[in-house]
Amino acid sequence: MSISPIIGTTVLRKDGKDKVTGHAKYGADWNISGQLYGAIFHSPVPHAKILKIDTTKAKAYPGVRCVITGADIGNARFGGFIADQPFLAIGKVRYKGEPVAAIAADTERIAKEALKLIEFEYEELPVVDSIEDAISCKGLVNETWKDYTIFGMAHPVEGTNIMDRFELINGDIEEGFKQADVIVENEFRCGMLQHTVMEPHSAIGDVTDDEITIYAPAQSPFSTRSMLHHALGYPLNKIRIICTEIGGGFGSKAEPKLEMLVAVLSKAARRPVKLVYTRDEEFNATFTRASVLYKIKTGATKDGKLCAQKVQVWWDTGAYGGFGPRVNYNAGYASNGPYFIPNAYTDSYCMVTNHSLGSAYRGFGVSEAAQAYEMQMDEVAKALNMDPVEFRLKNVLRDGSVSVTGETMKSVGVAKCLEAASKNLGWSEMPERWVDEDGKLHGKGIACFIKISGTPSTTSCTVRMNEDGTLLINSASREMGQGVRTVLTQFASSVTGISVDRIMVAQTDTSITPYDKTTTSSRSTFHSGNAVLEASHELVRQVTELVAKKWKCNFEDVHLDPETGMFTCKTDDSLSLDINKIGKSGILKEERPIIAVGKYGTKDIFDPVDEKTHASKRPTIMWMMGAQAAEVAIDMKTGKVEVVHISAAHDVGKAINPLGCIQQVEGGLSMGYGHALLEEMIYENGHLKNGNMVDYKVPTFMDSDFKSSIELVEVAHPEGPYGAKGIGEPVVAPTGAAIANAVSAALGRRIHSIPIKPEKIMFGEEGEYASKI
Amino acid sequence: MDRKTINVTINGEQYIRNVEVYMTLAEFLREEIGLTGTKIGCNEGECGGCTVIFNGRPVNSCIVLVNEIDGGDVLTIEGMSQDELHPIQEAFLEVGAVQCGFCTPGMVMSAKAILDQNHHPSEAYIRKNMEGNICRCTGYVRIMKGIILAAERMYGKAE
Repeated sequence: MSISPIIGTTVLRKDGKDKVTGHAKYGADWNISGQLYGAIFHSPVPHAKILKIDTTKAKAYPGVRCVITGADIGNARFGGFIADQPFLAIGKVRYKGEPVAAIAADTERIAKEALKLIEFEYEELPVVDSIEDAISCKGLVNETWKDYTIFGMAHPVEGTNIMDRFELINGDIEEGFKQADVIVENEFRCGMLQHTVMEPHSAIGDVTDDEITIYAPAQSPFSTRSMLHHALGYPLNKIRIICTEIGGGFGSKAEPKLEMLVAVLSKAARRPVKLVYTRDEEFNATFTRASVLYKIKTGATKDGKLCAQKVQVWWDTGAYGGFGPRVNYNAGYASNGPYFIPNAYTDSYCMVTNHSLGSAYRGFGVSEAAQAYEMQMDEVAKALNMDPVEFRLKNVLRDGSVSVTGETMKSVGVAKCLEAASKNLGWSEMPERWVDEDGKLHGKGIACFIKISGTPSTTSCTVRMNEDGTLLINSASREMGQGVRTVLTQFASSVTGISVDRIMVAQTDTSITPYDKTTTSSRSTFHSGNAVLEASHELVRQVTELVAKKWKCNFEDVHLDPETGMFTCKTDDSLSLDINKIGKSGILKEERPIIAVGKYGTKDIFDPVDEKTHASKRPTIMWMMGAQAAEVAIDMKTGKVEVVHISAAHDVGKAINPLGCIQQVEGGLSMGYGHALLEEMIYENGHLKNGNMVDYKVPTFMDSDFKSSIELVEVAHPEGPYGAKGIGEPVVAPTGAAIANAVSAALGRRIHSIPIKPEKIMFGEEGEYASKI
Repeated sequence: MDRKTINVTINGEQYIRNVEVYMTLAEFLREEIGLTGTKIGCNEGECGGCTVIFNGRPVNSCIVLVNEIDGGDVLTIEGMSQDELHPIQEAFLEVGAVQCGFCTPGMVMSAKAILDQNHHPSEAYIRKNMEGNICRCTGYVRIMKGIILAAERMYGKAE
């Protein structure tokens, strides 16, 4: 059967007009009548015992309506995997920025003024300020883990700062190393990053003793609803999350934060409360991409085949669990890269520290993992005296290869991506390193990656036909710039023949929209796409029934051509109807509403993982893969790294909306450039030293002057909608590694950590060359 | 609290409001006038999300106090289009310069300020003058394309 031409055709963004005109309503743009304004008193210290919180003066300040502390909430705690996080600190504060008290007042200014009147007395405790501090138990962030409810994959170890451990065991690692002709061992680090979404977090809570209503730019409204239900005991049908437009997510709006604060504050104030974070609060009191330490030992035979790999990982996951265990799991599955390695062992820990919370960040740890194993692969190639691309091509997974978890792989596009990325960079015509006429050192680097999408999970949607024949899709796949809203209309159009400009996607509201697990894991095109396809087929069935009724013919004789949108009748050539004109045909009049339900779930496809080894014949519905190659030029007088060219090739399965895919890659390259060269949250004794947009450097227009070559590789996924796979997170996965490998090639020495700031170039990563300057 | 009566023209309409003197222009637009198209991303003059055109020049409205705008003329994103989109908005849509869209109003306003001054800006000129507008989604590639396309449509190709 031919595929509708709307699939694979660029469709301009459905939400574009509202966004260029300023009409789109993000979190802070919403107001509801009677609302108060919230402000949060954040802990000024990273780790302390709370002695006293006196709110008397703040309560007395004119215009203040309510002040609450942890004592007013009781022992309710929340978390996606382990319920360790209090709404407001109880007994202890565990990071600088932790909410301690909350104020609701008539205006935002009054609320903020009143914050200054809160008296907070505390006794400081030793600060767990690094992964090493956490491992050595310099202090215990949690004296015990026993008090917390565990919902899922968190595996804390009593008496330690270990919140989760993940192991992946395949083959016999000791035997594997015995077969090796070369063994390479290295340590790699990634610094802590901030999502730096342009839209600060915000929420409005309207809560009574019976019902909770939250307005927020939430990526995962159903998961937020579930957390509120578990923590506060309201039944699900009494909790409503109304979603606003999202001004950038990247994972930072995947787990709730302000939603929880306004829920308890509004309940106490008995009024709606609006809370909008400042940029300072964004840096200190939302979420981060955890810093991480990798130790990798790899063995290969002299013919260039990988035979064994041991990967040890420690995440600085911050003070509370959050999505840390999910990062550990996803990155753990990806930790050996897209390679065939017969003997592999990964041992990965989430360490709690007195830092801001490490959470989901565009890839759930996968780009950090790629940075480590791809820097390592270059070192193994070097030890074997092989070209990095050739070495990778010799070892990458192919269709039919067995992965490190025992899965027979299919629809594997990584080799094609490696070939395309290196070819488009001009890899084979370039030396490994050279000096240009200005004296700059040039080098080339390559990196590839593998990423899972969270499995099992469920998505559902409805597609409704309005009286005028237009369609409304109800889906909780949240638009946050990645283009899902547009793609869903293409899917519906491809089945119904209704033009995309007559199909809308409604804003998400958990009391109306059918369940969808979450908008993360690059899952929406795949999962919601499949659900919308199913619903659209059902919708066509319902409409066909009405057409047959009108035409007084058999249902089986009426046929819709989705390419043209024309209904025809097998038994009567004179009958035809354009579905785009059905509204005026009278066919819908006084009939039952046309509402079709679609669902996509992966429970039956998923092979439950072995708890100890994490072996599984199908741990994920969808593997995503790709490769990027970079050329850099380094000014050795300043240490500044200039990215000359990045060539990206990503296997998208099928590019449903090609421009949307390209937009993702372009944005990912810029973000990955920032991770590789600019961005790092710098902590000193638990205090963030650069929590503002001047000192924390995200790429600006001035950093966008590099050549990019983008190729969308299409290796169809058998279960994907028209073969499509995810692209949102993968785009950023290999960029840092490709740049770091290019820098290492240019320098002729290995870089082990990102970001690669000029001082690392000039003085060495440990300052070892400082005395030679 | 000190208050002052401010008389200002916004998008061609006159507004007279008695407000607290330390209110910023961004707050004034969003909360007093109800024009929420102007976005506050950092509230410290670093991200450009709140860019509006004040007396012909682009400003970060989050660091301009209402006191300073009395008697002045402000153009916001809401004033950029009436029945039809402005060529910059149209070009942004067409080339795909928009993703999450939060920075977009500020980008459009800064782009307008550039094109008012320079009808045929070079890429380097655009980069330098747009540096204060941060976007986390697009990598700036298509915002650049959008500005150049708009310039061509408004003022023709450079000689």
